[in-house]
Amino acid sequence: MRVDLKEIEQIATSIGRDKKFVIPILQAIQKKYNFLPEEALEKVCEITDIRPAQIISVASFYSQFRFEPAGKHIIKVCMGTACHVKGAEQVYDAFKREFKLEGSQDTDASGNYTIEKVNCLGCCTLAPVVQIDNITYGHVSSGTINEVLSDFETQKDGSEKKQFRKPSGEVIKGEIRIGLGSCCVASGSDEIRDAVKNTIDTKSLDVNLKHVGCVGMCHQVPLVEVVPENGEAILYSKVKAVDIDQIIQKHFQPKSKLKRLSNKIVNAIENVVDDSRWGGIEKYSIDVREKHVSSFLDRQKPIATEFRGIINPIDIKEYKSRFGFKALEKCLKKNDPEWLINEVKESGIRGRGGAGFPTSVKWSLVAAEKSEKKYVICNGDEGDPGAFMDRMLLESYPYRIIEGMIIGAFAVGSDEGIFYIRAEYPLAVTRIQQAIKICYEEGYLGENILGSGFTFHASVYQGAGAFVCGEETALIASIEGKRGFPHIRPPYPAKEGLWGKPTLVNNTETLAQIAYILLHNAKAFNSIGTEKSRGTKVFALAGKVARGGLIEVPMGMTIREVVEEIGGGVANNRTFKAVQVGGPSGGCIPASMSDTRIDFESLAEVGAMMGSGGMVVLDDKDCMVDIAKYFLSFTQNESCGKCTFCRVGTKRMLEILEKITRGKGVSKDLEELESLAEWTKKGSLCGLGKTAPNPVLSTLKFFREEYEAHINGICPSGKCQDMIQYHITDDCIGCTKCAQECPVDAIPFAPHEKHLIDTELCIKCDSCRQVCPIDAVITK
Amino acid sequence: MGKIHIKIDSKEIEVNEGISVIDAARATGIEIPSMCYREGKEHITSCMVCLVKDAENGKLFPSCSINVQEGMQIISMDEEIQEARKTALELLLSEHVGDCEAPCQITCPAHMDIPLMNRLLSEGNFEEALKVVKKDIALPAVFGRVCPAPCEGACRRKSIDEPVSICLLKRSAGDKDILGENMYLPQKEKSTGKSIAIIGAGPAGLAAAYFLQIKGYSCTIYDRNKRAGGSLKKEVEAGVLPAGILAAEVEVIAKLGAEFIMDTEIDASLFNKLKSGSDALIIASGQGDSGAGDWGLEMSKTGILADNDSYQIGNSNIFVVGSALKPSKLAIRTLGQGKEVSFSVDQFLKGEAVRGEQGRFNSRFGKLFPEEFGEYMKESVEGKRAEPADLQVGLTHKQVMEEAKRCLHCDCREIDNCTLRDLSDQYKANQRRFYSEERKKIVKHIQNDAVIYEPAKCIKCGICVDITAEYMEDYGFTFIGRGFDIEIGVPFNKSVKTGLEKVAREAAEACPTGALSKK
Repeated sequence: MRVDLKEIEQIATSIGRDKKFVIPILQAIQKKYNFLPEEALEKVCEITDIRPAQIISVASFYSQFRFEPAGKHIIKVCMGTACHVKGAEQVYDAFKREFKLEGSQDTDASGNYTIEKVNCLGCCTLAPVVQIDNITYGHVSSGTINEVLSDFETQKDGSEKKQFRKPSGEVIKGEIRIGLGSCCVASGSDEIRDAVKNTIDTKSLDVNLKHVGCVGMCHQVPLVEVVPENGEAILYSKVKAVDIDQIIQKHFQPKSKLKRLSNKIVNAIENVVDDSRWGGIEKYSIDVREKHVSSFLDRQKPIATEFRGIINPIDIKEYKSRFGFKALEKCLKKNDPEWLINEVKESGIRGRGGAGFPTSVKWSLVAAEKSEKKYVICNGDEGDPGAFMDRMLLESYPYRIIEGMIIGAFAVGSDEGIFYIRAEYPLAVTRIQQAIKICYEEGYLGENILGSGFTFHASVYQGAGAFVCGEETALIASIEGKRGFPHIRPPYPAKEGLWGKPTLVNNTETLAQIAYILLHNAKAFNSIGTEKSRGTKVFALAGKVARGGLIEVPMGMTIREVVEEIGGGVANNRTFKAVQVGGPSGGCIPASMSDTRIDFESLAEVGAMMGSGGMVVLDDKDCMVDIAKYFLSFTQNESCGKCTFCRVGTKRMLEILEKITRGKGVSKDLEELESLAEWTKKGSLCGLGKTAPNPVLSTLKFFREEYEAHINGICPSGKCQDMIQYHITDDCIGCTKCAQECPVDAIPFAPHEKHLIDTELCIKCDSCRQVCPIDAVITK
Repeated sequence: MGKIHIKIDSKEIEVNEGISVIDAARATGIEIPSMCYREGKEHITSCMVCLVKDAENGKLFPSCSINVQEGMQIISMDEEIQEARKTALELLLSEHVGDCEAPCQITCPAHMDIPLMNRLLSEGNFEEALKVVKKDIALPAVFGRVCPAPCEGACRRKSIDEPVSICLLKRSAGDKDILGENMYLPQKEKSTGKSIAIIGAGPAGLAAAYFLQIKGYSCTIYDRNKRAGGSLKKEVEAGVLPAGILAAEVEVIAKLGAEFIMDTEIDASLFNKLKSGSDALIIASGQGDSGAGDWGLEMSKTGILADNDSYQIGNSNIFVVGSALKPSKLAIRTLGQGKEVSFSVDQFLKGEAVRGEQGRFNSRFGKLFPEEFGEYMKESVEGKRAEPADLQVGLTHKQVMEEAKRCLHCDCREIDNCTLRDLSDQYKANQRRFYSEERKKIVKHIQNDAVIYEPAKCIKCGICVDITAEYMEDYGFTFIGRGFDIEIGVPFNKSVKTGLEKVAREAAEACPTGALSKK
């Protein structure tokens, strides 16, 4: 690798030469070379204050950084919870086989593709999801990876996107809203946007095209909502680019008669647009087909997600027209931080990051500190597998979060704020950056905000991939250019935070709810929810549920209400088994306890936790030991490695779980697992280690018989690969599809005969089961 | 600096503001263990063996990292804390890949410090080597001929080519002693004025006498045979053991002051006389002694009934070792018991708890992987083991030095300066509790003039990282990676020498294990 040292000089010059810039510098180098060449790092040490020990320590800590060159294209296989339960591991294995990768190799011999596991791409409803460069593929299976790759091959050098010319002048006759949340983008809303532009353009329609944030109905993406000037708005789901022409023409007439005539033939099929039979593809207009949708939306209460699907995330005029910045104006006008903090206290809001610490207490602690300098940090380092609320909020409601931060800063007396956002969320980073820029232009940020004399500056810091940085002390260490090692509290950041100064660290969702509280009043928020858990909470509902997506519900709703009424129950007529709440820090609540209310206390009582709000529904095909192993392997992998109980304890627990899921467990293992889980909980230094055993403890508590079954050699749900075998039943019609698909030739090619699987050769990739047209492949 | 008041274990104390709980406790004489903390220095809070309890909420916290606060109430030790610290140690031990004592020493029934003997012999220092041998083996020249050498079966060199010829090396030290002008006479401790009767002049009885004489006791050995040696008679008769060699080494025991009363049957009345007339009586009379039945002692299936660890019969002043306790074909084992019983008798006569020789905690990791052979060979020499041209003569001086160099130095350099070992002893930690099939590969970074770094022994306390930063090393040590796979090393894969230009010795001294050790 040739490194142009002049470029390294330029990077250092443009970013800065202080130690604290180590992460941005590394990010810039990696962006340039797609890995971190050693010469480049040595050069950095030579020309900046950064020392070799620091640069290696930091670069090797964050998973974003690579020390080996990556392939031209990066295949990211999502390992989020929803993807996991739908077979992501088999998809990953299939890619590895396809590229003949052994052990820890991740790049194919040609250097074209690098395959990576990622924690969560936040497209849970499309699970399993694979992203190649910027193209996202949903519902991938081990049997379809070749289609994915060949599709990518045809797209990668794709032609430049057409420039959109706005329909010239005249009155807007209607509006087309396209979801631009990550799920929508992932499922192809970009293409749809282009198609809409194209149609509007070529047909010269008087239609306003509008980008809106996440609606939350991620199970139906991409979404297109058509809002005619007169009449009901109609929401189209699972739209394909080719459908756009028809959809638009159904609602809008070209301006000129000539155009209208030329479009007539096309219009002939308009009556089948919202018919599912059309084109044989699943698509329908929601208001007609999906009666449940109203309950999907009606049972919810949008506060953080207010005006979802209506406002363009980045349009500040629109935000203002919907009471945007009114809360800030009110606070500045009142000029009484004490009143402000009291309002927050009265509202009863508790931190949405998981632990539920009262927000007002945090605020008053920071406010009480006497210091020239104080910081406010928005914690957007969401990294749970199966949770993507923060990302959605940052992408869809940047102004609301900025407003919340400014209000918080005013309350505590801070003049500088930092949005800490994972670099894996590029769209969120861009949106916040754009919004900050616009806020400066509009006078909501900077000196003398709205003439109040209050000054506040905000910027974005990109996290480099470490789940533990969601822990506030680790997050602060990371901004200071260190490894994300948490430290013990006290001292709390409120006293000694960033650069030793009092620092207010609030979760993204918390900040997103602040403006609502102050605009309306404490009571408006306080009247929602339960006694100890006020207001609403945003969840990412995914897994084996009929309708997944982002939901915002009042605290205190029961699990049953969420799963059945909002989620439409368990998909594919299977049996509801459990719901995993709170991700790797949370626990599994069995179906029998689905009357458990969703609030901080009730969840903690049953051994789960609010966490950041992942909610994954599990059915009878899910193995609870496997789920425990899945979450523990996540935390084990994300442990910072500093303290004994977490570093070694989680590893040893994982080894025991692996032993059990391989069918090699003995009953003594359960005792040791439980005991070690308890010690890890008691003895770990930070929240990550203290909560890491929760998924194990809660499954041991509610599903102990499943563990015992494994000890006795049976995985009841047939999920643990080492404990099952693939068989073909007598239903086999001898079509040879499975034999053709089998990557290891474990099924002899025998047309018209009943096929047989050589279980010695079988690698349990599941391809045969997926291709079998009559479900004759079974596991037992 | 202000004073504040806290309670530790219900004891109210006044301490300086701004100090950590561990320092406050230590200042009042309450010992709290720790490995990653150096008083008054920044550290990363990693080892978690300093956990104490907040009496108010019952939660455990690391005492090194929380400062005292007015009104704080701390519990420094209870069952839960004991168990928490033990678990922390066991977790650390599960990833601590290294031997404390070498496998040969652990295997040796007499627990001889073989690696140290080898190092002294490799320098040609026979005199010191003999002293090391005789700390555990009273009859080196004898056992250099008759011992089946279980140590060589455990020798790590065996998996590379052939084991070190330990037994012959030991013999060479013993032979050199016999051939010298004066045989080595160890320094005796002050006389206790107490007398001990020993029945049986076999290996066990001789060893017991040897070590008890050194400890300041007066031993009288009774035996029905004319000559001392007991079961060794067979080897003498077979021509394996020259009678002169045996006699010479027995003579040393006599020179230490032990009295030999040979050619005497011990009947019931003599037995009773010895029992009451001596401060302690050791029965080392061999297997199925015809007299034993008359002595009125309770028998087990195998021999006379006594405690298997302390060798004591009940709380009496009678101890039983060797084949009289349990038949053994391994003379080295009974010889070892003779040494061990000397500890029991000494404890008994001093009025201490009788526990025998206290073995220490030993970290062990099992077999070497082939890819690790090279790491161990870094401290050794190539070549197969030396064979004596004439077995009667043994190895030549030069052969001894060459052979001793083949030793791989498996024992830890910091064996007596290791907090992890000390605490594992104290908390009775079990290294196998969290046994994992996978273990880290051993690598030895040898910096010729000062230190050796063995990452597989590292417990990631971060002290060396902090020290190299304090001393502004250009490269220093740093954390590399994350989580369980975290390692401590020199940035940019530079050598340990480059990393430790200024503070190699300081860093090695501060290391709480043998990961970074002084050469």
